[in-house]
Amino acid sequence: MIRSPLTNPYLLILPGFLLAAFIILWPLYQLGTISLNDVNRFGQLRGLNGVENYVAVFTDPDFLGALWRTFIWTGGIVVGTLIISVPVAMILNEDFYGRSLARVIIMLPWAVSLTMTAIVWRWALNGESGMLNSGLQNIGLIDQNIQWLARASTAFPVQIMIGILVTIPFTTTIFLGGLSSIPDDLYEAAKLEGASRWQTFREITLPLMKPFLNISIVLNMIYVFNSFPIIWATTQGGPANSTDILVTYLYKLGFRFGKLGEASALSVMMFALLLAFTILYVALAMRRERT
Amino acid sequence: MNSTALKATVAGVALLSMAGWAQAETVRVTVAEYSSKTGPYFEEAAKAFEEANPGSDIQIEVVPWDVLLQKLTTDISGGANADLSIIGTRWLIDFVEQGIAAPLDDYMTQDFKDRFFPVFLEPSVMQEKTYGLPIAASARAMYYNKALFEQAGIAEVPDTWDELAEAAKKIGALGDDIAGFGLQGKEIETDVYFYYAFWAYGGQLVEEDGTSGLDTDAGYKAAEMYKSLIDSGATQPGVTSYNREDVQNLFKQGKVGMMITAPFLSNQIKEEAPDLEYGVAAIPAGPDGERGTYGVTDSIIMFENSQNKDLAWKFLDQLFTTEWRAKFTSGEGFLPVNPEVAAQPAFADNADLKAFTALLPDARFAPVIAGWEEIAATTSDAVQTIYLGNGEPKATLDAAAEEINGILGQ
Repeated sequence: MIRSPLTNPYLLILPGFLLAAFIILWPLYQLGTISLNDVNRFGQLRGLNGVENYVAVFTDPDFLGALWRTFIWTGGIVVGTLIISVPVAMILNEDFYGRSLARVIIMLPWAVSLTMTAIVWRWALNGESGMLNSGLQNIGLIDQNIQWLARASTAFPVQIMIGILVTIPFTTTIFLGGLSSIPDDLYEAAKLEGASRWQTFREITLPLMKPFLNISIVLNMIYVFNSFPIIWATTQGGPANSTDILVTYLYKLGFRFGKLGEASALSVMMFALLLAFTILYVALAMRRERT
Repeated sequence: MNSTALKATVAGVALLSMAGWAQAETVRVTVAEYSSKTGPYFEEAAKAFEEANPGSDIQIEVVPWDVLLQKLTTDISGGANADLSIIGTRWLIDFVEQGIAAPLDDYMTQDFKDRFFPVFLEPSVMQEKTYGLPIAASARAMYYNKALFEQAGIAEVPDTWDELAEAAKKIGALGDDIAGFGLQGKEIETDVYFYYAFWAYGGQLVEEDGTSGLDTDAGYKAAEMYKSLIDSGATQPGVTSYNREDVQNLFKQGKVGMMITAPFLSNQIKEEAPDLEYGVAAIPAGPDGERGTYGVTDSIIMFENSQNKDLAWKFLDQLFTTEWRAKFTSGEGFLPVNPEVAAQPAFADNADLKAFTALLPDARFAPVIAGWEEIAATTSDAVQTIYLGNGEPKATLDAAAEEINGILGQ
């Protein structure tokens, strides 16, 4: 059969590709150019300076700290969300009275802007007049106010917890979709064979949910890695840079210190890092699926 | 795609230049929004100017403070900046070094210069040329809560840091949720809160040899004094979770005995806590009687690439007449920068403002150094480390000073 050239698949994806290239590749090219140049704080290029910007970022001790914290941050939120969202989605998938209301309540945080959520939490975490402290005191868990945001040892875990809370709605939605795609007769057959609930979960639910788990992990990894509002609104990466992750560090570098060259170099590195992780994860997940 | 973009750009440029032709007498002014009164004030000034100068067109662009530098950066890199703009004076060095701000000396007559307090003109003088005019000025003084002073049996307002420490401990003993001295330990100006004591102990941000002054006795003593206030419970707990607004809120709630901040707190108290009995006093002095307040000015600058510099200057000239200055200064709650304005009863008889203006001879401004923001951040990090008890004052300040010297040497 002779195909019309108009149905050539490459031709058909061309408009979409061009649009994507314009939105993604063009800024990336710009970013790369700036990162290899000496740039003044007004974004005017002052000539090539090779990899100097990259070296400057790498030799900054704050960079390594922020990099390490980014891994904890991303890993903590992605894994934490996964652990909570799977049972939540399974409960919401059951038929019970008031299920639709429960679903709405779970989804609601999604409708609120992330920055607003973070600011509300900042108030709630206030040491003297915060809701969290007075709530904990009322139920007798603590008898003295805790200054949550005063040091990293309390601030960073709380920030990760907020991150988990705001990631749950999206993840649960994906899982609910996945669960509804598992045919009921599989469960019925397993029940007839006398499988326990745990066995059903391990042998039927988990394997069939795998593609959904994978996509949620990849998407959450990308969102969380680049998530700025929670940390910025609560501590701005402080005290003394102890809650900085790469993206807040990037903001300080670019817009506070006016080092646009170094900021661009860091952006390129973050992009490469994220791309590498995503490709690695997708490759691993796919290989396991095939075997 | 590229050619379309090119065409669009060409068309845009053509349009822009035509607009320039049609209205040769346009002056665009970027102003920072200090309050809801800023925009209307400048619109009114523009209207008055246009009436007095037929054929001229003043366009006011009001921009929120937080994004002002970002907007200017974008405008300048795209060559689309206005003719005049308000900027933070501490940014001026970058504008001057890159040849973006125009010197104003050719326009300034002696008569014009005499309209200002010299101390406010100084910060915008660079390489012996004046690049900006002080549009807004502010300084810091100590607010104290009279009711708490009475309860703790303190008759005299502390005038030295030793007296302050003593008073703060007495007030802090009044109750669990009462703090003697509100100490800011988070976000912007955390470093400045440290400088109040640092200056009083005789410290200098940049020493005469061009290195950081943090690693001196003044630095160590100021840090140790603040740390001992924290440790003895004379400050609010968890100082590193309080930014300036948070401490001000505690003060408005009557939970803080003393704090150091800007004149605008008076206006806030008037509106939000009118029953609070407070006073404004000088920032305490050090053992040798030295004291320093932080002076901040915002400048209005003219861009080097402006096409209508003469007209732009004429507008500046109007803005800095006594009538327009008085209107602006009282509306925004800033300090008067002009002697004639300061002499008006509305300002001269305001007890709070008087306390601030009395401090002006001791005012120190952020040094005009490229990279100052980074030095301020390094200092903030160091004092936070000390407040948290994660580092000894001397070792932490020495390390910070070394880092700052690296920035200064660039």
